[in-house]
Amino acid sequence: MREVGIVGVGHTKFGRWNGSFLDQAATAAVEALRDAGVDLAAGKAHIDQVFLASMGVGQVNKISGAASALVDTINLRPAMAETVENGPASGASAVKLAYMAIASGMADTVLVVGAEQMRILTGWESTDFVATMSHPDAEYPYGLTLPSFAGMFTRLYMEKYGLTETDLAIVSVKNHENAMHNPCAHIRLVPSLHAITEDEDADVINPYVADPIRVYSTCPMSDGAAALVLTALDTGREFAHKPVRIAGIGQATDTHVVAERPDPLDLFAVRESARKAYEMAGMGPEDIDVAELHDAFQILEIVESEEVGFFPRGEGAKAAREGRTRVDGDKPINTSGGLKAKGHPVGATGVSQVVEIVRQLRGEAEGRQVKDAQTGLTTNFGGFGNNVVSIILTTKEEG
Amino acid sequence: MALIDKMEEQLRPPEEFVNVEYPAKYITLATGEKMVIRQISREECPIALEAVKPLMDVERDFYDIVAVRMYAEILGYMRYRVKDEYVFLGTINGEIVGIVNGRSVNAQLGMSYHTIAIRQGLRLGAQLFAAKMEYHFDFLNQDEVLIVAESPNGFKRWMIEYELESRPEVWHELGGVPTYVLTRALWEKHKPVKCTGRRPVPEELLAANIPARLPGAYAQKK
Amino acid sequence: MMELYAYRCDACGELHHPRHFVCRKCGNTEFTEEVLNGKVRVLSWTKVYNLPEGYMQPYLCFAIVKFEDSGLIVSVQINDDKPYIGQEADAAVGVVKEAIGKDFYGFIVEPIAV
Repeated sequence: MREVGIVGVGHTKFGRWNGSFLDQAATAAVEALRDAGVDLAAGKAHIDQVFLASMGVGQVNKISGAASALVDTINLRPAMAETVENGPASGASAVKLAYMAIASGMADTVLVVGAEQMRILTGWESTDFVATMSHPDAEYPYGLTLPSFAGMFTRLYMEKYGLTETDLAIVSVKNHENAMHNPCAHIRLVPSLHAITEDEDADVINPYVADPIRVYSTCPMSDGAAALVLTALDTGREFAHKPVRIAGIGQATDTHVVAERPDPLDLFAVRESARKAYEMAGMGPEDIDVAELHDAFQILEIVESEEVGFFPRGEGAKAAREGRTRVDGDKPINTSGGLKAKGHPVGATGVSQVVEIVRQLRGEAEGRQVKDAQTGLTTNFGGFGNNVVSIILTTKEEG
Repeated sequence: MALIDKMEEQLRPPEEFVNVEYPAKYITLATGEKMVIRQISREECPIALEAVKPLMDVERDFYDIVAVRMYAEILGYMRYRVKDEYVFLGTINGEIVGIVNGRSVNAQLGMSYHTIAIRQGLRLGAQLFAAKMEYHFDFLNQDEVLIVAESPNGFKRWMIEYELESRPEVWHELGGVPTYVLTRALWEKHKPVKCTGRRPVPEELLAANIPARLPGAYAQKK
Repeated sequence: MMELYAYRCDACGELHHPRHFVCRKCGNTEFTEEVLNGKVRVLSWTKVYNLPEGYMQPYLCFAIVKFEDSGLIVSVQINDDKPYIGQEADAAVGVVKEAIGKDFYGFIVEPIAV
């Protein structure tokens, strides 16, 4: 199979985008193309394929066939183009499809863009929009949302492993601190651990969203776009950056109905996607220097850090308490600020995670750089774990 | 006080139902910063007016309509043209981060005017709104407060989260949307999770917040 | 009174809720409906304050419950402000979402007084 690497990255400032969906997507796309040193003049870009990842471009922005519009506005015609919708895992799915397109020989160079505009909706409209990824009969009509599942999951995990609300807050504060060094992050403030947990005012200023999950242990609604240029490593084409190689990709699905899982605390698809990615890369958790894990809720960062093999079952929170997941720890997680503080424009998130790892592996993560980072992992979590994609990137040579 | 001529005297409404001052309080925000909420007198209105002015042309989230109306209301209070109005400032280290106002209709009935959070992301609006409800129920001892919303966010925050009673047959002075009512029973039900803060404000903290300063930046303007 | 169903595979007897097109155990596609009701036990719960569009209330409580008879596990609304793990409830059916002309029925379990 052909080897594939990433030679260009682009990323808008997450938060609120005061413009059109296409402008936001195009901004990230052009930044990635320029970062790769691609000539944007007509016919000179030589981009064979574009994948646009978005969960809501059809539903929220009412744009169908958005990839065709994107290709045209950024002058990449006649490149092949598709829009990819796979819930919050749309971004990593698009990276996977780009990998498949290149590895198969159908394309040499592919642009992947993830983009979402959630803040044009009111809070309850966006809550509804995100909830549409739950089961259409057994979950969505009940008013069940992603925070609902995360709340019930957290309660069980607390019962079984003794996790506390403070453990969730510790992970949150770490990610907010990291985001202060990421100019693209949505939230630029650092909560005080005392203020959001123990202070007399804490219950009111950090209220429950889905008991036992509070505002400061869940991600915000964000607009945002991120983009990547992927290329085959065997073409001899020169780019402005040395490629960061995609060493492995794994994806797995789980029951769509959360209640149907034999063990309600088992995030099988996370574990399986990581296992497949490790297997493809010929690596293991011990090889990972830095990871971006899908922390739509802080509980997910903790449990994913266990499921991808960094820490034993039930010990993710302990590792976070000990500082092992901080930028200077032995398993740094969410150096970008994570979904918690960088923001979570759903369809863009998987692409954004890869952008952060590329920056880390290039040594460009100023202020949050993990020393000597050579290999990184991303885990992009769709639904409540019903469709998960993990990607391993490395600057190490193959074999 | 300046001498008031007879005509001006005729024009000023009597003050009857805001006869208790709201005692200042402070709240520790998520960042650990302390927000002081206090009632202001007419002398401090000019800076409150300046603080809302930049939001008058921000269409998004109805900041424009809220800012324009609040400007008129504060001006009306300052120049004695609204009866029984009050204005609270929320400040952090003296910087104005939010403003709320309202008035008393009579001894039993309050009327909420507007809530503006200038600094975003810390749920200040919710705290300021709760403070004025606290004023009506716990200090003015009123039975009900009339409330309308001008934005979907306001509707969600007040009408739904406080489970306000719909009372469309009563006309709110702001007009427009139908009136909702916060009753004492609803206030007592929701107060524990909506209203917080401590009194008295330590002297040093209060001193750091008076006089109030204009906001440094408006994220809404970007 | 509205009733909700479990779907028993005609070939192997495996019970499903909600309906699956293909039996998750044996691959058969024929099922027989059985009324799903009776006593349930709360496995986990949450009280949710940020409800999606269409729910005009400040919060709702949800639970994942297990049917005592069939062992089926489903997500439900629970009519209690402070549920607890292990709580017993009756699997009542009611309108879980109101929409003009098409109310949606689902489980709103009623706690059994202890």
